[in-house]
Amino acid sequence: MKKIMTRYTLTLLFLLVLPGLVWAQDLVTDKSFGADNEIIITFSQPVAPQAAVDSATYTVYEEPDPDIRLQIKEIILAEDEKGVSLIFSEPLNTTESHVVTIADLLPDEEPTTIIVTKSYLGYLIGILLSALLINNFVFTKYLGLCVFFGTSKRKDTAKGMGFTFTIVMVVSAIMSWFFYQYILTPFDLNFLQIVVFIGLVSLTVQAVDTILRKVNPALFNSFGVYLVLVIANCVIIAVPLILADNEYNFLETFMLSLGAGGGFLLALYLMSSVRERMDLANIPPTFKGVPIAFIVAGQFALAFLGFSGLQIF
Amino acid sequence: MATDKSNMQLVVNGILNENPIFRLVLSMCPAVGISTTMMNGLMLGVAVLFVQVFSSVTIAIFKDYIHPRIRIPTYTLTIATWVTVIDLVLAAFLPEAYAKMGIFVKLIVAFAIITMRLEMFASKESVKASLWDGIGMGLGFMAGMMAIGFVRELLGMGTLMGYDILGFKPLLFFILPCAGFFVVGLMMAFFNYIEIAYKKAKQA
Amino acid sequence: MKDISTIIIRLTLACILAGVVMGLTFIFTSNAKKHNEHVKEQKVMASLLGYSKNHPMPESMAMHEVYRYVITKDANLTVGYLVPLQEQGFTFITIDLDGRFLSATPVEIQPQLVIDENERQKAIATRLDLDPQFLRYADKTIIVTDQGRRQAYLLTGAFPGFKTFISVMLALDPSFTILGLEILEHEEDPGLGGEIVQDYFKNQFKGKPFTAIKRLEVTKTPLPDEYRQALEAEKSGISKKEITAIQEQYKDHDIYALTGATISSDAVTRGTKGIVRKFAYRIAILDQVIQGQNIAVPF
Repeated sequence: MKKIMTRYTLTLLFLLVLPGLVWAQDLVTDKSFGADNEIIITFSQPVAPQAAVDSATYTVYEEPDPDIRLQIKEIILAEDEKGVSLIFSEPLNTTESHVVTIADLLPDEEPTTIIVTKSYLGYLIGILLSALLINNFVFTKYLGLCVFFGTSKRKDTAKGMGFTFTIVMVVSAIMSWFFYQYILTPFDLNFLQIVVFIGLVSLTVQAVDTILRKVNPALFNSFGVYLVLVIANCVIIAVPLILADNEYNFLETFMLSLGAGGGFLLALYLMSSVRERMDLANIPPTFKGVPIAFIVAGQFALAFLGFSGLQIF
Repeated sequence: MATDKSNMQLVVNGILNENPIFRLVLSMCPAVGISTTMMNGLMLGVAVLFVQVFSSVTIAIFKDYIHPRIRIPTYTLTIATWVTVIDLVLAAFLPEAYAKMGIFVKLIVAFAIITMRLEMFASKESVKASLWDGIGMGLGFMAGMMAIGFVRELLGMGTLMGYDILGFKPLLFFILPCAGFFVVGLMMAFFNYIEIAYKKAKQA
Repeated sequence: MKDISTIIIRLTLACILAGVVMGLTFIFTSNAKKHNEHVKEQKVMASLLGYSKNHPMPESMAMHEVYRYVITKDANLTVGYLVPLQEQGFTFITIDLDGRFLSATPVEIQPQLVIDENERQKAIATRLDLDPQFLRYADKTIIVTDQGRRQAYLLTGAFPGFKTFISVMLALDPSFTILGLEILEHEEDPGLGGEIVQDYFKNQFKGKPFTAIKRLEVTKTPLPDEYRQALEAEKSGISKKEITAIQEQYKDHDIYALTGATISSDAVTRGTKGIVRKFAYRIAILDQVIQGQNIAVPF
C-alpha cells in the first residue's frame, strides 16, 4: 500500500514539474498573477526595452472570451530587462486562465503564446482544503449526520470510523469517477447515477471487507465493525454526485474525496473530544444524550462558518 | 406480533412513538440541512413518503423470492430505483422545488430509516401492513421536517409556507444554515421535557 | 452450487426489473422536463420585459436567438455566430478576433431542433466541414423585436459567487440600459447571500444606463427607505409615478450591498457589469458585419 502511494506521489510530482522543464527552453521562463490587476512575465534573456514596454507587443484575453482583449494600462520593465509586469486598467478575474500572446519582442522570432493560470497544485490544495474546512461535509453541508452522532462518543471509535471512511471514500469516489466518465456520460445513462454510485459504494465496502480480513486480520478486528456503517453515510454518495455535477478530473476527484474523508475524520475527532468531556459535566436531564450533542454540533458549525470565504491560493 | 395492530395504529406509531427524526434519530441530514422553510419540509417529506411506501410494498410483495444472502443489496437496489423515479419526476414537473432541495432528493437513497424499515418490517409482514407502516413512517418524517421548518421559518423570516404572518423578521439567526443543529437539539430537549413531566405526573 | 445460481438469476431479474422501471420513467419525464424548462425560461423572459399573464406580450413581438461559438482551427481562434435569416433558415457568420468578417455559411436546421445544443452543433459542424470538438458553444443572446424594430436584448450568463456559480438572465434595451435582472440559479447562504433574489437587491439594477454600468461598484451604506419602497413596489404599493421619480434619482448610484453579504453583492455587480460590457462590444461588431455583408436578418 505504502509503496503504491510513494510511486503515485512521485509520478504526480514528475507530472507537475514537467511543464516547467519544457518552458525552460523558451523565451518566457515564468509567468504569474501579481496584484489583482497585474500579470508578471519573466524572460530567459534581456529584451529590447522599447518593444517590451510597447502595449502593442502583448495581446491578452481571458480564455473563454478570445474576442475581447483586456486593456493594458501600463507596462513596467524589470531592472535587469529580463521581465515585465503588465498592469491592466481593470482587476483581473484570476479564476479564469489568461492567454497572453507576445509578438515582435525579439527579432525573427515567432509570436509566443503563454497561458497564465493560478498554480494547478494550489488549485488542487484549494479543493482539498475547501472540502476539509470551508465546505466541511458535516458542519457546513450537514451530511453524514446519523453516523456522525452515532460514532462520536469515544475518541477511539471516532478515529477508527474516520480512517475507515476516508479509505472507502477515496476508493469508491475514484471508481465512480471512472464509471461516470467512461460509461454513464458516453452512453447517455446519467439517469442511472444513483443506482450505479450506490452499487459501487456497496461493492467497495464488500471488497475492503474481504481484503482486510485476509491481508490484515488484526486491522480488520479493529476497523471491520465500521465498514457496515460507511454505507449508511450520505457523504459517501454525495461526493460522487458532486463530482458528476462539477465535471472534475481525476486528480481533482482524488483531492475532493480525500478532503471529504479527512473532513469527516476531523469533525468526528473534534466532536468526540467534546463528548468525552461532557460525560463528566452536569447536564440537565432533558438535554442528556442526543440534544446536547446537537447543540455542541451547532456551535462547531457556527465556528466553521468563520472559514467560509477563505481563500488561500 | 405487529400484525395485530390496526392500520391506524401503524400510522400513528410512525408519527409519534417511532418518529424517524425525534425518536429514532435517523435521517438527520435533511432535518438540519434544508428545514429552513415548512415548504421544503413538506416537499422532501412527500418524496420520502413516496420512496418509503413504494419500497415497503415492493419488498413485501417479493419477500418470498428474495434470497436471504442478498437481502441488503436487493433493498438498496429497490430504494435506489424508487429514488431515481421520484428524482426524475420532481426534476421534470416541479423544477423550482427540486432546485431548492438540491442534492437531498438523491440522498434519500442513503437514509437509514428506509432500509431499516424494510429489514425490520416489510420483509416480515403482509403487503397491507407494510403499506400502512410505510405511510406512517413517511408521514412521521414529513411531520418532523415540517415542525422544524415551522420553528425556523416563523422565527427566521416571520412567514409560514411563504405567507407573511408576523410582518417582521424576529431572529435572522434561525434561517442561517448552522441554526438547524440548535433547533433540532432544542426541540428534542423540549420533547424530553414533556416526557419526563408526563412520567412524573403518572407516578404521582 | 444451486444456491448461487438462484441468487444470480434472481439478482439479474431484479436488476432488469429496476432497469425497466427507471428507463420508462426516464422516457416519460425527459420530454416533460425539456418542455417545462422551456416554459419557465419563457416566463422569466416575459417578466423581465415587463409582461405577465394579465398583460401578455403583443403578437407583433418576436424573439430571435443568436448563438455564439468559439472555433479553434489550426491554433487559430475565430468567433462564430449562428443567426436566423429573414425568410427562413440560419446562417453561420465567422469573425476573426479583430472583428473582421471571414465567412457566412448557410446552415439548414429545423427551427424546432435549433434549441437542442447537440443538434445545432452537429448541423454547424457538418456545414463547416469541421470536427465538432473544435466548435465550442459559448452563449445565447435573444433579440426581441416589435414589428422588425429592436426592443430589447435578453442575455444569460454565469459567474462565481460566494459559494458556487450564480447564473442570471439580463434584459437590456437597445442602448444597453438594464431593463431587469433575474437570478436563475444560486447556492448562496439562505438569509445572507441568498437575499440576492429579493426585489430590493435585484431591482437596483433596473434602469441603470450603460454609462453607469461601466463604473458600477457596491457601496456599504444602508439602503435608503424611500428607495427600498420603490424597489419593492409590489409590497409597498406606491404609485408608478413616484417609483419612476425615485428610480431616476438613484439611477447613477452604486449598488447598495446586502447586509452581511458584501461578497455576494459584489459578485453579482461585477458579473452583471462584465456581461453587459462584453455584450455591448460584441453586438457592435456583429451589427457592423451584418450591415457590411447585407445579411438579411429579422432584427
